Amino acid sequence: MVVHHRPRVLIVEDDPDTLVILRINLTAAGVEPMLAGDGRTAIERIEAESPDAVLLDVLLPGIDGWQVLEQLHAKGDPVPVIVCSGKDNMHDLQRARDLGAVAYLVKPFDIDRLIEVTSEVVGLRLTDPVTERGTVAGTELA
Amino acid sequence: MRNHRQSEPDRLRRDARIAGLRDFQTPSLEAVEQRRRQLWQRTATALAVIAAVVVAFAIIPSNRLQEAGTGRILFVIVGVGGGLFLWAFHKETALERLTRSLTDERVLTAALTNRLHEVSLLLDAGKQMNAHLQMDELLDTILRSACELLDATGGSVMLVEETDLVTVCALGRDAAVGQRMRLGEGVAGYVAIRRDPVLIDGHADPDLFPGLVLREPYVESAMSVPLVHRAELQGVLNVNAPIGRSFTEYDLRALAVFAEQAALAVANARLYEAERAHVAALLDLRKKREAG
Repeated sequence: MVVHHRPRVLIVEDDPDTLVILRINLTAAGVEPMLAGDGRTAIERIEAESPDAVLLDVLLPGIDGWQVLEQLHAKGDPVPVIVCSGKDNMHDLQRARDLGAVAYLVKPFDIDRLIEVTSEVVGLRLTDPVTERGTVAGTELA
Repeated sequence: MRNHRQSEPDRLRRDARIAGLRDFQTPSLEAVEQRRRQLWQRTATALAVIAAVVVAFAIIPSNRLQEAGTGRILFVIVGVGGGLFLWAFHKETALERLTRSLTDERVLTAALTNRLHEVSLLLDAGKQMNAHLQMDELLDTILRSACELLDATGGSVMLVEETDLVTVCALGRDAAVGQRMRLGEGVAGYVAIRRDPVLIDGHADPDLFPGLVLREPYVESAMSVPLVHRAELQGVLNVNAPIGRSFTEYDLRALAVFAEQAALAVANARLYEAERAHVAALLDLRKKREAG
């Protein structure tokens, strides 16, 4: 029997509508989505379930997306993180890059582009687990 | 391979059936955890019995093991043990999927609940603000509602008067009332000119905010948002975080949404004040005419 491993992507987003939309679209794209509505849940699920990638919104209640990214960076967690932010500025882009994010998407994002970037990040991780962290960023953060 | 076209409830029911959760009508993480404990307790007990039987066979004198059938029984017992483990593993996989799906559902429910709570708070604040037309009462309501919404300890409302911002209402620092600053000066002046909300975490940068006056007591974290209605700047709303707490961009977004309603209420109150002043002037004129 051939076992098909669907890459698991943790969507961290506080807006319920966006959560549902991303879940539907990523499921259709062949990804198994996992959900987190705040930073604390995100950290817990990353530690407990080791997703293949994280789609991280920066605006979150309690621990925000930047703090989540900082914690992952400090721990040296190798999970690739795609930062989603409403701010299109160099400061945030550089901050994401410094904290090891592999891509930075500006909201409102095009869902096809998001799926494309997510698939690329997950695909690289699955086929080449030794890919150096941050090199996938060439798609967005270079 | 799993059927990806199944709907979420169908998938939940299927995994629940595999995991041995009968009558699975109301999804619950607790029921799944209970089933997991039960599964592994039973599996562990069965495997312990099998191990005991295997050990018993091992301590039987070796010549007896040569007897026909004994080795075969041992083989069958070990096979049953392996099968049992695989069965438990299959159930565990289904339970894991169930846990993930139920956690996702819980996250969605929590996100919806949070959003409803926020909307309800904003609605309440909007109702309270719209219940006032007297400017001083309204400003007090705006400031208190903002502090309540964001668990802030204090703050102020500044209104535009020609080229100045005047503090007309303050909470936590009464001495600030009546203070004036020019548009463009300090954090509030910057917010007024740029019309962009600002989040201050730690010391504000005097280079970024010219004319910044450091205040006592020192505020670790604060937010300032413009009060703009129909492209017209009404003023600036400032809130301060309690000691040990920092506001986040999330809080700033909530305050910005709140400020839109507050700006509308301020504009209405100003209109009302202007109308009252107009009526008072007309009445005064009439009195003078009648007297003359």
